[in-house]
Amino acid sequence: MRYRKISCTLTEYSAAIRLPEPSNGCSIDEDTAAELRDCCRELQLRDELRVVTVAGSGNVFAVGRLRAPAEVASAPMPERLRWQVEMAVAGALAALPMPTVAVLNGDAIAHGLELALAADLRVASDTAHLGVGNMAECGFPYDGATQRLLRLVGTGLARDMLFTGRTLTAQEALNAGLVSRIAPAAQLDDVAAGLTAEIAAAAPIAGRYVKEAVVNSMDLTLSQGLRLEADLSVILQSTEDRAEGLRSFEEKRAPRFGGR
Amino acid sequence: MTDSFATVIYEKQGGVAHLSLNRPAQLNAYSVAMRDDFAEMLDAVADDSEVRSALITGQGRAFCAGADLTEFGTAPSQAIARSVRWQRDVWGQLIGLDKPIVAAVHGYCIGSGVEIALLADVRIAAADTVFAMPELQLGMIPAAGGSQTLPANAGPSVALDLLLTGRRFDADHALRCGLISRVVAPDELFQAGWDIAHRLAALPPAVAAATRRALREGPELPTADALRLEQRLAATLMDYVHAPETG
Repeated sequence: MRYRKISCTLTEYSAAIRLPEPSNGCSIDEDTAAELRDCCRELQLRDELRVVTVAGSGNVFAVGRLRAPAEVASAPMPERLRWQVEMAVAGALAALPMPTVAVLNGDAIAHGLELALAADLRVASDTAHLGVGNMAECGFPYDGATQRLLRLVGTGLARDMLFTGRTLTAQEALNAGLVSRIAPAAQLDDVAAGLTAEIAAAAPIAGRYVKEAVVNSMDLTLSQGLRLEADLSVILQSTEDRAEGLRSFEEKRAPRFGGR
Repeated sequence: MTDSFATVIYEKQGGVAHLSLNRPAQLNAYSVAMRDDFAEMLDAVADDSEVRSALITGQGRAFCAGADLTEFGTAPSQAIARSVRWQRDVWGQLIGLDKPIVAAVHGYCIGSGVEIALLADVRIAAADTVFAMPELQLGMIPAAGGSQTLPANAGPSVALDLLLTGRRFDADHALRCGLISRVVAPDELFQAGWDIAHRLAALPPAVAAATRRALREGPELPTADALRLEQRLAATLMDYVHAPETG
């Protein structure tokens, strides 16, 4: 898939999005945001995809948060809101139906962290720092930080990070559950590749359904969530993959899932 | 008093109902028969006013090695499978019970084993317990609440890591993730479980029930409503605070 700012590499079961290096301390400008949304829209339709990764270039994941140009900042509300919508990328990543992994090869700060928060899993280099950005420098968050962060780490740490602009080390992020694995920088690619291979080896429809059940668990009562889980679970009983999963268990071999 | 069902052992001791999964040769794989016995016993636990807390354990080498896969694919149709899920709603019985529940897990705690534990109030594990959520490697997803209870306890990110990869993890990892709250030496597990269960059984039943209710319903309410629920529960329990020996 061809883009100017980002790149997206497709292999049999996976897609790897690569973010550009920051320019003037900012990784995501209007063009990059538009490309990321287009890219996610394309990936959304690819039923064969079992996992999507997002990583940065060089030794940065993504940093900075673009401030609105002066003419937008002084314009009436409708124009200001239009600009906010043009800068939004996290929602497009979050809307992907297959599991997604943010590979934090370096710092994820401000808008960069907001994008990472929209992935299902985060793995980080042990040298990476994570923060929502200092509000005085980076402005008010506009791509989900005030909502997704506290759902992931709880309101105590989220408030600390939002009010003080505090950045976490990778180890602190691991302890807080903000990332699920960390690795030395030199081994991060291998760890991420291992993780995506594990995800791609599991039954793909089940992978999408478990994502749906877990993501929606945040917004449903327990009894509603259990209904969703039970219904998805029953639908899976009609798949060839479930039959293959049980057969492979019986025959003590690795399953071969076709996503059907 | 001890009642022996085929697949789950039931005994009552000093206000504690002990339910012990009892298919040791199958590492306590959760079967249809076990579900039915479990459901019947949970009715007894709910109805018996002498019972003030429940302790769930497993006999033999494992707490529970997951669902009994040999029975899978035997439902006549998906429509029937779906209605049976709600006819024998063991998970709903555990959630709705107004008595506190302790789960003490050891050996293998896999799939449904993890999900049963996640429906308990206090969860402890022997230090050598092996955990995993392997459903996706079998083409299915958790069906005993795991897709809801695991993210509620471990956070969505860690929950998805465990679910999507199906990787095995140890008791220390389970502790860090919030799946369990204590790790104990293997030979002290059951005693520790009984101690906690007796302690919970000593609570005034109305206090235990109100705590369960606050924790069950509170998280689903807007904060202001949840705080009002707490106030109302506290108001109904004023007697116990002033005379804790009653009840």
